Amino acid sequence: MAAAAGGGAVRALSQKEQDIQMMLAADVHLGTKNCDFQMERYVFKRRTDGIYIINLGKTWEKLQLAARVIVAIENPQDIIVQSARPYGQRAVLKFAQYTGAHAIAGRHTPGTFTNQLQTSFSEPRLLILTDPRTDHQPIKESALGNIPTIAFCDTDSPMRYVDIGIPANNKGRNSIGCLFWLLARMVLQMRGTILPGHKWEVMVDLFFYRDPEEAKEQEEEAAAAPDFAAITDYQGAEQWGAEQWTSDVAVPPVAPTGADWGAAPAPVPTGDGWDQAGAPVPADGVVPPVAAPTGWDQAAQPTAQGWE
Amino acid sequence: MADRGGQRGGDRGGFGRGFGRGGRGDRGGRRGGRRGGRQQEEEKWVPVTKLGRLVKEGRINKIEEIYLHSLPVKEHQIVEQLVPGLKDEVMKITPVQKQTRAGQRTRFKAFVVVGDCDGHVGLGVKCAKEVATAIRGAIILAKLSVVPVRRGYWGNKIGQPHTVPCKVTGKCGSVTVRMVPAPRGSGIVAARVPKKVLQFAGIDDVFTSSRGSTKTLGNFVKATFDCLMKTYGFLTPEFWTETKYVKTPFQEFTDLLAKPTKGLLIDAPTETVEA
Repeated sequence: MAAAAGGGAVRALSQKEQDIQMMLAADVHLGTKNCDFQMERYVFKRRTDGIYIINLGKTWEKLQLAARVIVAIENPQDIIVQSARPYGQRAVLKFAQYTGAHAIAGRHTPGTFTNQLQTSFSEPRLLILTDPRTDHQPIKESALGNIPTIAFCDTDSPMRYVDIGIPANNKGRNSIGCLFWLLARMVLQMRGTILPGHKWEVMVDLFFYRDPEEAKEQEEEAAAAPDFAAITDYQGAEQWGAEQWTSDVAVPPVAPTGADWGAAPAPVPTGDGWDQAGAPVPADGVVPPVAAPTGWDQAAQPTAQGWE
Repeated sequence: MADRGGQRGGDRGGFGRGFGRGGRGDRGGRRGGRRGGRQQEEEKWVPVTKLGRLVKEGRINKIEEIYLHSLPVKEHQIVEQLVPGLKDEVMKITPVQKQTRAGQRTRFKAFVVVGDCDGHVGLGVKCAKEVATAIRGAIILAKLSVVPVRRGYWGNKIGQPHTVPCKVTGKCGSVTVRMVPAPRGSGIVAARVPKKVLQFAGIDDVFTSSRGSTKTLGNFVKATFDCLMKTYGFLTPEFWTETKYVKTPFQEFTDLLAKPTKGLLIDAPTETVEA
Protein backbone atom coordinates (compact mmCIF):
# COMPACT_ATOMS: atom_id res chain seq x y z
CA MET A 1 0.00 0.00 0.00
CA ALA A 2 2.89 2.32 0.86
CA ALA A 3 4.50 1.62 -2.48
CA ALA A 4 1.25 2.35 -4.23
CA ALA A 5 0.92 5.61 -2.33
CA GLY A 6 4.42 6.60 -3.36
CA GLY A 7 3.76 5.45 -6.92
CA GLY A 8 0.49 7.42 -6.90
CA ALA A 9 2.41 10.62 -6.65
CA VAL A 10 4.23 9.82 -9.89
CA ARG A 11 1.30 8.84 -12.14
CA ALA A 12 -1.88 10.93 -12.34
CA LEU A 13 -4.61 10.06 -9.83
CA SER A 14 -7.95 8.85 -11.12
CA GLN A 15 -11.05 10.87 -10.42
CA LYS A 16 -12.04 8.51 -7.66
CA GLU A 17 -8.64 8.71 -6.02
CA GLN A 18 -8.63 12.49 -6.18
CA ASP A 19 -12.03 12.60 -4.58
CA ILE A 20 -10.92 10.29 -1.82
CA GLN A 21 -7.88 12.45 -1.22
CA MET A 22 -10.17 15.43 -0.86
CA MET A 23 -12.39 13.53 1.53
CA LEU A 24 -9.41 12.59 3.66
CA ALA A 25 -8.38 16.21 3.83
CA ALA A 26 -11.88 17.14 4.96
CA ASP A 27 -11.94 14.45 7.66
CA VAL A 28 -14.86 12.62 6.09
CA HIS A 29 -13.41 9.31 7.19
CA LEU A 30 -13.54 10.05 10.90
CA GLY A 31 -16.55 8.55 12.62
CA THR A 32 -17.51 8.65 16.26
CA LYS A 33 -16.71 6.55 19.26
CA ASN A 34 -19.89 4.48 18.88
CA CYS A 35 -20.94 2.31 16.01
CA ASP A 36 -24.48 1.42 15.00
CA PHE A 37 -24.74 -2.24 14.00
CA GLN A 38 -26.03 -1.37 10.56
CA MET A 39 -23.06 0.89 9.92
CA GLU A 40 -20.55 -1.81 10.77
CA ARG A 41 -20.23 -2.83 7.13
CA TYR A 42 -18.88 0.60 6.21
CA VAL A 43 -16.35 0.82 9.00
CA PHE A 44 -12.74 0.03 8.22
CA LYS A 45 -11.25 -0.12 11.67
CA ARG A 46 -11.40 1.31 15.14
CA ARG A 47 -8.54 3.60 16.10
CA THR A 48 -6.64 3.26 19.35
CA ASP A 49 -8.35 6.33 20.75
CA GLY A 50 -11.74 4.77 20.09
CA ILE A 51 -12.82 6.55 16.92
CA TYR A 52 -14.16 4.39 14.08
CA ILE A 53 -12.65 4.97 10.66
CA ILE A 54 -15.01 4.85 7.71
CA ASN A 55 -14.02 3.11 4.50
CA LEU A 56 -14.00 5.94 1.97
CA GLY A 57 -14.11 3.63 -1.00
CA LYS A 58 -17.56 2.57 0.12
CA THR A 59 -18.51 6.16 0.76
CA TRP A 60 -17.65 6.99 -2.81
CA GLU A 61 -19.71 4.06 -4.10
CA LYS A 62 -22.72 5.11 -2.06
CA LEU A 63 -22.34 8.67 -3.32
CA GLN A 64 -22.48 7.33 -6.86
CA LEU A 65 -25.60 5.35 -6.05
CA ALA A 66 -27.26 8.37 -4.51
CA ALA A 67 -26.34 10.48 -7.53
CA ARG A 68 -27.95 7.93 -9.82
CA VAL A 69 -31.15 8.06 -7.82
CA ILE A 70 -31.16 11.85 -7.91
CA VAL A 71 -30.66 11.89 -11.64
CA ALA A 72 -33.52 9.44 -12.11
CA ILE A 73 -36.03 11.98 -10.80
CA GLU A 74 -37.32 13.74 -13.89
CA ASN A 75 -38.27 16.99 -12.23
CA PRO A 76 -35.46 18.19 -9.96
CA GLN A 77 -37.85 20.54 -8.16
CA ASP A 78 -39.39 17.47 -6.54
CA ILE A 79 -36.22 16.83 -4.56
CA ILE A 80 -35.90 18.34 -1.13
CA VAL A 81 -32.49 18.77 0.51
CA GLN A 82 -32.58 19.51 4.17
CA SER A 83 -30.35 20.43 7.07
CA ALA A 84 -31.25 21.54 10.54
CA ARG A 85 -27.64 21.85 11.59
CA PRO A 86 -25.95 25.18 10.87
CA TYR A 87 -22.87 23.43 9.41
CA GLY A 88 -24.92 21.94 6.65
CA GLN A 89 -27.17 24.86 5.78
CA ARG A 90 -24.88 26.63 3.35
CA ALA A 91 -23.96 23.37 1.66
CA VAL A 92 -27.60 22.45 1.27
CA LEU A 93 -28.47 25.79 -0.28
CA LYS A 94 -25.60 25.67 -2.72
CA PHE A 95 -26.42 22.09 -3.65
CA ALA A 96 -29.99 23.08 -4.38
CA GLN A 97 -28.80 26.02 -6.45
CA TYR A 98 -26.59 23.90 -8.70
CA THR A 99 -28.84 20.87 -9.11
CA GLY A 100 -32.22 22.58 -9.24
CA ALA A 101 -33.57 21.01 -6.08
CA HIS A 102 -35.42 22.64 -3.23
CA ALA A 103 -33.59 23.49 0.00
CA ILE A 104 -34.88 23.70 3.54
CA ALA A 105 -32.36 25.14 5.96
CA GLY A 106 -33.14 25.38 9.62
CA ARG A 107 -36.17 24.09 11.45
CA HIS A 108 -38.44 21.61 9.72
CA THR A 109 -42.01 22.53 10.57
CA PRO A 110 -43.77 19.31 11.50
CA GLY A 111 -46.48 18.53 9.01
CA THR A 112 -44.87 19.93 5.90
CA PHE A 113 -45.10 16.55 4.23
CA THR A 114 -48.31 15.33 5.86
CA ASN A 115 -50.63 18.24 6.58
CA GLN A 116 -52.27 19.16 3.32
CA LEU A 117 -53.85 22.27 4.83
CA GLN A 118 -50.53 23.90 5.67
CA THR A 119 -49.25 26.61 3.39
CA SER A 120 -45.81 25.03 3.28
CA PHE A 121 -47.23 21.64 2.30
CA SER A 122 -45.13 19.87 -0.28
CA GLU A 123 -44.97 16.34 -1.61
CA PRO A 124 -41.42 15.64 -2.70
CA ARG A 125 -40.31 12.56 -4.59
CA LEU A 126 -36.97 12.35 -2.80
CA LEU A 127 -35.48 13.61 0.42
CA ILE A 128 -31.80 14.24 1.14
CA LEU A 129 -30.70 14.85 4.71
CA THR A 130 -27.45 15.65 6.45
CA ASP A 131 -28.08 13.81 9.70
CA PRO A 132 -30.76 11.23 10.54
CA ARG A 133 -30.55 12.10 14.20
CA THR A 134 -31.06 15.85 14.07
CA ASP A 135 -33.35 15.60 11.04
CA HIS A 136 -35.50 12.84 12.52
CA GLN A 137 -38.77 14.73 12.00
CA PRO A 138 -38.60 14.80 8.18
CA ILE A 139 -37.68 11.11 8.26
CA LYS A 140 -40.81 10.26 10.22
CA GLU A 141 -42.99 12.25 7.88
CA SER A 142 -41.48 10.88 4.72
CA ALA A 143 -42.24 7.39 6.01
CA LEU A 144 -45.91 8.35 6.09
CA GLY A 145 -45.82 9.82 2.62
CA ASN A 146 -43.95 7.14 0.63
CA ILE A 147 -40.91 9.38 0.14
CA PRO A 148 -37.52 7.66 -0.34
CA THR A 149 -34.80 9.10 1.85
CA ILE A 150 -31.07 9.56 1.33
CA ALA A 151 -28.98 10.61 4.30
CA PHE A 152 -25.37 11.09 5.30
CA CYS A 153 -24.97 8.70 8.20
CA ASP A 154 -22.22 8.77 10.75
CA THR A 155 -21.11 5.58 12.48
CA ASP A 156 -23.63 6.10 15.27
CA SER A 157 -26.58 7.29 13.18
CA PRO A 158 -29.89 5.43 13.38
CA MET A 159 -30.76 3.98 9.99
CA ARG A 160 -34.47 3.55 10.49
CA TYR A 161 -36.44 4.67 7.42
CA VAL A 162 -33.26 5.77 5.68
CA ASP A 163 -33.22 4.13 2.27
CA ILE A 164 -29.75 5.07 1.08
CA GLY A 165 -27.26 5.79 3.83
CA ILE A 166 -23.97 7.34 2.82
CA PRO A 167 -21.38 6.56 5.47
CA ALA A 168 -19.55 9.76 6.31
CA ASN A 169 -18.68 12.22 9.00
CA ASN A 170 -21.63 14.55 9.37
CA LYS A 171 -20.25 16.50 12.29
CA GLY A 172 -17.42 18.49 10.77
CA ARG A 173 -18.05 21.61 8.74
CA ASN A 174 -15.56 20.81 6.00
CA SER A 175 -16.81 17.28 5.79
CA ILE A 176 -20.42 18.17 5.07
CA GLY A 177 -19.43 20.78 2.53
CA CYS A 178 -17.11 18.39 0.76
CA LEU A 179 -19.76 15.69 0.55
CA PHE A 180 -22.41 17.93 -0.91
CA TRP A 181 -19.91 19.33 -3.36
CA LEU A 182 -19.00 15.83 -4.50
CA LEU A 183 -22.61 14.79 -4.76
CA ALA A 184 -23.51 17.88 -6.76
CA ARG A 185 -20.62 17.30 -9.12
CA MET A 186 -21.56 13.68 -9.61
CA VAL A 187 -25.15 14.59 -10.36
CA LEU A 188 -24.11 17.23 -12.90
CA GLN A 189 -21.68 14.82 -14.52
CA MET A 190 -24.34 12.15 -14.85
CA ARG A 191 -26.76 14.62 -16.32
CA GLY A 192 -24.12 15.67 -18.81
CA THR A 193 -23.88 19.28 -17.71
CA ILE A 194 -20.21 18.82 -16.83
CA LEU A 195 -17.83 16.66 -18.82
CA PRO A 196 -16.21 13.99 -16.66
CA GLY A 197 -12.60 14.81 -17.43
CA HIS A 198 -12.73 18.46 -16.61
CA LYS A 199 -12.51 20.12 -13.25
CA TRP A 200 -15.69 21.72 -11.99
CA GLU A 201 -15.13 25.46 -11.81
CA VAL A 202 -17.14 25.80 -8.61
CA MET A 203 -14.89 25.50 -5.57
CA VAL A 204 -15.41 23.24 -2.60
CA ASP A 205 -15.01 26.21 -0.30
CA LEU A 206 -18.30 27.53 -1.58
CA PHE A 207 -20.07 24.74 0.25
CA PHE A 208 -18.30 25.20 3.58
CA TYR A 209 -20.05 26.81 6.46
CA ARG A 210 -18.90 30.32 7.35
CA ASP A 211 -19.24 31.79 10.81
CA PRO A 212 -20.98 35.15 10.70
CA GLU A 213 -17.95 36.85 12.29
CA GLU A 214 -15.65 35.21 9.82
CA ALA A 215 -17.83 36.33 6.96
CA LYS A 216 -17.81 39.92 8.16
CA GLU A 217 -14.03 39.86 8.61
CA GLN A 218 -13.46 38.71 5.07
CA GLU A 219 -15.66 41.38 3.63
CA GLU A 220 -14.01 44.06 5.68
CA GLU A 221 -10.65 42.90 4.41
CA ALA A 222 -11.95 43.06 0.91
CA ALA A 223 -13.19 46.60 1.53
CA ALA A 224 -9.87 47.74 3.00
CA ALA A 225 -7.62 46.53 0.18
CA PRO A 226 -8.75 48.66 -2.76
CA ASP A 227 -8.92 51.88 -0.74
CA PHE A 228 -5.78 53.56 -2.01
CA ALA A 229 -6.49 52.61 -5.58
CA ALA A 230 -9.87 54.29 -5.35
CA ILE A 231 -8.48 57.61 -4.20
CA THR A 232 -6.36 58.04 -7.30
CA ASP A 233 -9.19 57.34 -9.67
CA TYR A 234 -12.08 58.85 -7.81
CA GLN A 235 -14.20 60.15 -10.68
CA GLY A 236 -14.10 56.96 -12.59
CA ALA A 237 -14.96 55.17 -9.37
CA GLU A 238 -18.22 57.13 -9.03
CA GLN A 239 -19.40 55.91 -12.39
CA TRP A 240 -18.33 52.42 -11.60
CA GLY A 241 -20.21 52.53 -8.37
CA ALA A 242 -23.49 53.41 -10.04
CA GLU A 243 -23.09 50.98 -12.90
CA GLN A 244 -22.04 48.04 -10.93
CA TRP A 245 -24.68 48.42 -8.28
CA THR A 246 -27.61 48.75 -10.62
CA SER A 247 -26.73 45.74 -12.67
CA ASP A 248 -25.92 43.11 -10.18
CA VAL A 249 -26.74 43.53 -6.55
CA ALA A 250 -27.42 39.87 -6.18
CA VAL A 251 -24.41 38.54 -8.02
CA PRO A 252 -21.67 37.25 -5.79
CA PRO A 253 -18.51 39.34 -6.08
CA VAL A 254 -15.81 38.29 -8.48
CA ALA A 255 -12.59 36.71 -7.45
CA PRO A 256 -11.88 34.31 -10.23
CA THR A 257 -8.53 33.16 -9.00
CA GLY A 258 -9.88 32.94 -5.51
CA ALA A 259 -6.41 33.15 -4.03
CA ASP A 260 -6.96 35.13 -0.85
CA TRP A 261 -10.63 35.72 -1.08
CA GLY A 262 -11.35 32.05 -1.03
CA ALA A 263 -14.53 32.38 0.91
CA ALA A 264 -15.33 35.96 -0.05
CA PRO A 265 -16.88 35.19 -3.43
CA ALA A 266 -19.97 33.71 -1.94
CA PRO A 267 -21.83 35.93 0.45
CA VAL A 268 -24.53 34.62 2.72
CA PRO A 269 -26.63 32.63 0.31
CA THR A 270 -29.94 34.35 0.84
CA GLY A 271 -28.50 37.52 -0.61
CA ASP A 272 -29.68 39.59 2.30
CA GLY A 273 -26.27 39.38 3.89
CA TRP A 274 -24.77 40.78 0.76
CA ASP A 275 -27.14 43.71 0.75
CA GLN A 276 -26.38 44.55 4.33
CA ALA A 277 -22.67 44.11 3.93
CA GLY A 278 -22.58 45.89 0.63
CA ALA A 279 -24.90 48.81 1.30
CA PRO A 280 -22.61 50.81 3.55
CA VAL A 281 -19.75 50.45 1.11
CA PRO A 282 -20.94 52.66 -1.76
CA ALA A 283 -22.18 55.10 0.80
CA ASP A 284 -18.57 55.65 1.69
CA GLY A 285 -17.88 56.56 -1.85
CA VAL A 286 -15.51 53.68 -2.27
CA VAL A 287 -16.13 51.54 -5.27
CA PRO A 288 -17.36 48.11 -4.15
CA PRO A 289 -14.51 45.84 -3.24
CA VAL A 290 -15.75 43.35 -5.76
CA ALA A 291 -13.15 43.68 -8.44
CA ALA A 292 -10.46 44.76 -6.03
CA PRO A 293 -7.69 42.25 -6.64
CA THR A 294 -7.74 42.52 -10.37
CA GLY A 295 -7.84 46.26 -10.60
CA TRP A 296 -10.14 48.83 -12.15
CA ASP A 297 -9.88 47.72 -15.70
CA GLN A 298 -12.75 47.22 -18.05
CA ALA A 299 -11.85 43.59 -17.68
CA ALA A 300 -13.31 43.58 -14.20
CA GLN A 301 -16.82 44.39 -15.36
CA PRO A 302 -17.25 41.65 -17.97
CA THR A 303 -15.82 39.04 -15.65
CA ALA A 304 -18.37 40.04 -13.03
CA GLN A 305 -21.12 39.39 -15.51
CA GLY A 306 -19.50 36.23 -16.69
CA TRP A 307 -19.72 34.93 -13.17
CA GLU A 308 -23.42 35.68 -13.16
CA MET B 1 -74.24 19.48 40.63
CA ALA B 2 -74.68 15.87 39.84
CA ASP B 3 -78.42 16.35 39.46
CA ARG B 4 -78.01 19.30 37.18
CA GLY B 5 -75.49 17.33 35.24
CA GLY B 6 -77.94 14.52 34.97
CA GLN B 7 -80.63 16.88 33.80
CA ARG B 8 -78.39 18.38 31.21
CA GLY B 9 -77.54 14.97 29.97
CA GLY B 10 -81.21 14.22 29.81
CA ASP B 11 -81.85 17.42 27.88
CA ARG B 12 -79.21 16.56 25.38
CA GLY B 13 -80.66 13.14 24.99
CA GLY B 14 -83.99 14.72 24.36
CA PHE B 15 -82.56 17.16 21.89
CA GLY B 16 -81.04 14.50 19.75
CA ARG B 17 -84.08 12.46 20.26
CA GLY B 18 -84.03 10.47 17.12
CA PHE B 19 -80.59 9.17 17.87
CA GLY B 20 -80.96 8.81 21.59
CA ARG B 21 -83.77 6.37 21.18
CA GLY B 22 -82.69 4.48 18.14
CA GLY B 23 -79.15 4.50 19.37
CA ARG B 24 -78.94 0.78 19.03
CA GLY B 25 -78.18 0.94 15.44
CA ASP B 26 -80.03 0.82 12.21
CA ARG B 27 -82.01 3.98 12.55
CA GLY B 28 -80.90 7.00 10.65
CA GLY B 29 -79.96 5.81 7.20
CA ARG B 30 -78.68 9.06 5.90
CA ARG B 31 -78.19 8.41 2.26
CA GLY B 32 -75.68 10.34 0.25
CA GLY B 33 -75.34 13.40 2.43
CA ARG B 34 -77.54 16.41 2.54
CA ARG B 35 -78.28 18.38 -0.59
CA GLY B 36 -79.56 21.47 0.95
CA GLY B 37 -78.36 24.95 0.35
CA ARG B 38 -74.77 23.78 0.43
CA GLN B 39 -74.32 23.03 -3.23
CA GLN B 40 -71.58 25.50 -4.00
CA GLU B 41 -69.13 24.11 -1.48
CA GLU B 42 -69.64 20.61 -2.72
CA GLU B 43 -69.34 21.37 -6.41
CA LYS B 44 -66.06 23.22 -6.55
CA TRP B 45 -63.30 20.96 -5.38
CA VAL B 46 -59.83 22.47 -5.58
CA PRO B 47 -57.38 19.66 -5.01
CA VAL B 48 -54.55 20.31 -2.61
CA THR B 49 -52.56 17.12 -2.96
CA LYS B 50 -50.80 15.75 -6.01
CA LEU B 51 -53.03 12.71 -5.99
CA GLY B 52 -56.08 14.95 -5.88
CA ARG B 53 -54.94 16.82 -8.92
CA LEU B 54 -54.37 13.64 -10.88
CA VAL B 55 -57.77 12.27 -9.98
CA LYS B 56 -59.53 15.48 -10.88
CA GLU B 57 -57.81 15.56 -14.26
CA GLY B 58 -58.97 12.03 -14.82
CA ARG B 59 -55.51 10.48 -15.09
CA ILE B 60 -56.39 7.96 -12.43
CA ASN B 61 -59.56 6.05 -13.15
CA LYS B 62 -59.68 3.26 -10.66
CA ILE B 63 -59.05 3.31 -6.99
CA GLU B 64 -57.05 0.11 -7.43
CA GLU B 65 -54.23 2.17 -8.91
CA ILE B 66 -53.98 4.00 -5.63
CA TYR B 67 -54.02 0.79 -3.63
CA LEU B 68 -51.27 -0.68 -5.78
CA HIS B 69 -48.80 1.97 -4.73
CA SER B 70 -50.03 2.39 -1.14
CA LEU B 71 -50.56 6.08 -1.63
CA PRO B 72 -52.11 7.92 1.29
CA VAL B 73 -55.47 9.44 0.44
CA LYS B 74 -55.99 12.79 2.08
CA GLU B 75 -59.00 14.22 0.25
CA HIS B 76 -62.34 12.49 0.41
CA GLN B 77 -63.40 13.82 -2.96
CA ILE B 78 -60.85 11.47 -4.50
CA VAL B 79 -62.77 8.49 -3.24
CA GLU B 80 -66.11 10.02 -4.20
CA GLN B 81 -64.95 10.40 -7.73
CA LEU B 82 -63.33 7.01 -8.10
CA VAL B 83 -65.97 4.92 -6.34
CA PRO B 84 -69.25 6.33 -7.55
CA GLY B 85 -71.80 4.06 -5.88
CA LEU B 86 -70.88 4.80 -2.28
CA LYS B 87 -73.67 4.55 0.25
CA ASP B 88 -73.33 5.45 3.87
CA GLU B 89 -75.05 4.45 7.02
CA VAL B 90 -74.83 5.77 10.52
CA MET B 91 -74.33 2.85 12.85
CA LYS B 92 -74.60 4.64 16.12
CA ILE B 93 -74.51 8.00 17.79
CA THR B 94 -73.35 7.86 21.37
CA PRO B 95 -73.15 10.83 23.67
CA VAL B 96 -69.84 10.90 25.50
CA GLN B 97 -69.17 13.21 28.37
CA LYS B 98 -66.25 14.88 30.01
CA GLN B 99 -66.42 16.34 33.47
CA THR B 100 -65.68 20.02 33.95
CA ARG B 101 -66.15 22.09 37.10
CA ALA B 102 -69.25 23.60 35.53
CA GLY B 103 -70.95 20.29 34.87
CA GLN B 104 -70.46 17.82 32.07
CA ARG B 105 -69.36 18.63 28.57
CA THR B 106 -71.20 16.34 26.19
CA ARG B 107 -70.10 15.51 22.72
CA PHE B 108 -71.51 13.10 20.18
CA LYS B 109 -69.58 10.28 18.67
CA ALA B 110 -70.78 9.01 15.31
CA PHE B 111 -69.90 5.70 13.70
CA VAL B 112 -70.46 5.63 9.97
CA VAL B 113 -69.95 2.79 7.55
CA VAL B 114 -69.56 3.52 3.89
CA GLY B 115 -69.50 1.10 1.00
CA ASP B 116 -70.50 0.29 -2.53
CA CYS B 117 -71.72 -3.29 -1.89
CA ASP B 118 -69.12 -4.47 -4.37
CA GLY B 119 -65.77 -4.84 -2.70
CA HIS B 120 -65.05 -1.49 -1.03
CA VAL B 121 -65.81 -0.53 2.57
CA GLY B 122 -64.84 2.29 4.83
CA LEU B 123 -65.36 3.05 8.48
CA GLY B 124 -65.34 6.48 10.05
CA VAL B 125 -65.56 7.57 13.66
CA LYS B 126 -65.92 11.21 14.59
CA CYS B 127 -66.72 13.04 17.78
CA ALA B 128 -68.14 16.56 17.70
CA LYS B 129 -70.27 18.93 19.71
CA GLU B 130 -73.24 18.63 17.39
CA VAL B 131 -74.73 15.51 15.96
CA ALA B 132 -74.85 16.75 12.40
CA THR B 133 -71.21 17.83 12.44
CA ALA B 134 -70.20 14.50 13.86
CA ILE B 135 -72.04 12.60 11.18
CA ARG B 136 -70.62 14.73 8.42
CA GLY B 137 -67.11 14.36 9.72
CA ALA B 138 -67.53 10.64 10.16
CA ILE B 139 -68.69 10.24 6.58
CA ILE B 140 -65.60 12.05 5.35
CA LEU B 141 -63.32 9.93 7.48
CA ALA B 142 -65.07 6.81 6.34
CA LYS B 143 -64.49 7.72 2.72
CA LEU B 144 -60.82 8.33 3.42
CA SER B 145 -60.48 4.88 4.91
CA VAL B 146 -62.01 2.89 2.07
CA VAL B 147 -60.25 -0.43 1.58
CA PRO B 148 -60.66 -3.23 -0.95
CA VAL B 149 -62.24 -6.49 0.16
CA ARG B 150 -61.20 -9.75 -1.37
CA ARG B 151 -63.92 -12.22 -2.13
CA GLY B 152 -63.58 -15.85 -3.07
CA TYR B 153 -65.43 -19.10 -3.43
CA TRP B 154 -66.45 -21.72 -0.98
CA GLY B 155 -65.80 -24.45 -3.54
CA ASN B 156 -66.43 -24.82 -7.33
CA LYS B 157 -65.53 -21.58 -8.98
CA ILE B 158 -68.76 -20.97 -10.77
CA GLY B 159 -70.19 -17.51 -11.21
CA GLN B 160 -68.89 -14.54 -9.28
CA PRO B 161 -67.04 -14.71 -5.95
CA HIS B 162 -69.53 -14.56 -3.15
CA THR B 163 -67.76 -15.26 0.11
CA VAL B 164 -64.50 -14.68 1.94
CA PRO B 165 -61.50 -16.41 0.29
CA CYS B 166 -60.35 -18.06 3.50
CA LYS B 167 -60.89 -17.99 7.24
CA VAL B 168 -59.84 -14.58 8.53
CA THR B 169 -60.05 -12.97 11.91
CA GLY B 170 -59.87 -9.39 13.07
CA LYS B 171 -59.40 -7.95 16.51
CA CYS B 172 -60.02 -4.65 18.18
CA GLY B 173 -59.95 -4.21 21.92
CA SER B 174 -61.34 -7.40 23.37
CA VAL B 175 -63.57 -8.18 20.41
CA THR B 176 -62.42 -10.75 17.88
CA VAL B 177 -64.47 -11.46 14.80
CA ARG B 178 -63.85 -14.54 12.76
CA MET B 179 -65.19 -14.99 9.24
CA VAL B 180 -65.48 -18.39 7.64
CA PRO B 181 -66.32 -19.08 3.99
CA ALA B 182 -69.89 -20.28 3.46
CA PRO B 183 -71.65 -22.00 0.53
CA ARG B 184 -73.87 -20.00 -1.75
CA GLY B 185 -77.23 -19.19 -0.39
CA SER B 186 -76.23 -19.18 3.26
CA GLY B 187 -76.50 -15.45 3.51
CA ILE B 188 -74.59 -13.41 6.07
CA VAL B 189 -74.76 -15.29 9.33
CA ALA B 190 -73.78 -12.59 11.78
CA ALA B 191 -75.06 -10.21 14.38
CA ARG B 192 -76.85 -7.05 13.35
CA VAL B 193 -73.81 -4.84 13.49
CA PRO B 194 -71.25 -6.82 11.47
CA LYS B 195 -74.03 -7.86 9.08
CA LYS B 196 -74.41 -4.24 8.04
CA VAL B 197 -70.70 -3.87 7.42
CA LEU B 198 -70.53 -7.09 5.44
CA GLN B 199 -73.48 -6.08 3.31
CA PHE B 200 -71.70 -2.86 2.43
CA ALA B 201 -68.62 -4.85 1.57
CA GLY B 202 -70.47 -6.92 -0.97
CA ILE B 203 -70.06 -10.28 0.68
CA ASP B 204 -73.09 -12.47 0.12
CA ASP B 205 -72.42 -15.54 2.21
CA VAL B 206 -70.32 -15.94 5.30
CA PHE B 207 -70.33 -17.61 8.69
CA THR B 208 -69.08 -15.52 11.55
CA SER B 209 -68.10 -16.09 15.09
CA SER B 210 -67.27 -13.41 17.61
CA ARG B 211 -65.78 -13.23 21.02
CA GLY B 212 -65.25 -10.57 23.62
CA SER B 213 -67.41 -7.69 24.65
CA THR B 214 -69.36 -7.23 21.45
CA LYS B 215 -71.64 -4.81 23.29
CA THR B 216 -69.08 -2.12 22.64
CA LEU B 217 -70.22 -1.27 19.17
CA GLY B 218 -67.11 0.74 18.41
CA ASN B 219 -64.80 -2.19 18.90
CA PHE B 220 -67.15 -4.65 17.27
CA VAL B 221 -67.40 -2.64 14.11
CA LYS B 222 -63.67 -1.94 14.03
CA ALA B 223 -62.94 -5.62 14.48
CA THR B 224 -65.04 -6.61 11.46
CA PHE B 225 -63.42 -3.84 9.46
CA ASP B 226 -59.99 -5.08 10.46
CA CYS B 227 -61.06 -8.58 9.46
CA LEU B 228 -62.11 -7.36 6.02
CA MET B 229 -58.84 -5.50 5.54
CA LYS B 230 -56.97 -8.73 6.14
CA THR B 231 -58.65 -10.54 3.25
CA TYR B 232 -56.15 -8.95 0.88
CA GLY B 233 -53.30 -9.43 3.28
CA PHE B 234 -53.48 -13.21 3.11
CA LEU B 235 -50.88 -14.79 0.83
CA THR B 236 -52.42 -17.43 -1.43
CA PRO B 237 -50.80 -19.25 -4.37
CA GLU B 238 -52.24 -16.73 -6.85
CA PHE B 239 -49.77 -14.18 -5.49
CA TRP B 240 -46.74 -16.42 -5.84
CA THR B 241 -45.79 -14.99 -9.24
CA GLU B 242 -43.19 -12.21 -9.26
CA THR B 243 -44.58 -8.72 -9.12
CA LYS B 244 -44.24 -6.63 -12.23
CA TYR B 245 -43.44 -3.19 -10.97
CA VAL B 246 -45.37 -0.33 -12.44
CA LYS B 247 -44.39 3.33 -12.32
CA THR B 248 -46.06 5.30 -9.60
CA PRO B 249 -48.55 7.89 -10.87
CA PHE B 250 -46.31 10.62 -9.48
CA GLN B 251 -43.53 9.50 -11.76
CA GLU B 252 -45.73 8.79 -14.76
CA PHE B 253 -47.46 12.14 -14.69
CA THR B 254 -44.55 14.16 -13.44
CA ASP B 255 -44.86 16.65 -16.32
CA LEU B 256 -48.48 17.31 -15.54
CA LEU B 257 -47.76 17.74 -11.86
CA ALA B 258 -44.90 20.12 -12.54
CA LYS B 259 -47.28 22.67 -13.96
CA PRO B 260 -48.16 25.30 -11.40
CA THR B 261 -51.71 25.48 -10.15
CA LYS B 262 -53.18 28.92 -10.60
CA GLY B 263 -56.03 30.58 -8.83
CA LEU B 264 -55.70 28.37 -5.81
CA LEU B 265 -55.15 31.24 -3.44
CA ILE B 266 -58.03 33.37 -4.66
CA ASP B 267 -61.01 31.38 -3.53
CA ALA B 268 -60.12 28.92 -0.85
CA PRO B 269 -63.22 27.30 0.55
CA THR B 270 -61.16 25.14 2.87
CA GLU B 271 -59.33 26.41 5.88
CA THR B 272 -55.59 26.78 5.70
CA VAL B 273 -53.15 26.61 8.54
CA GLU B 274 -50.31 29.10 8.52
CA ALA B 275 -47.16 27.15 9.02
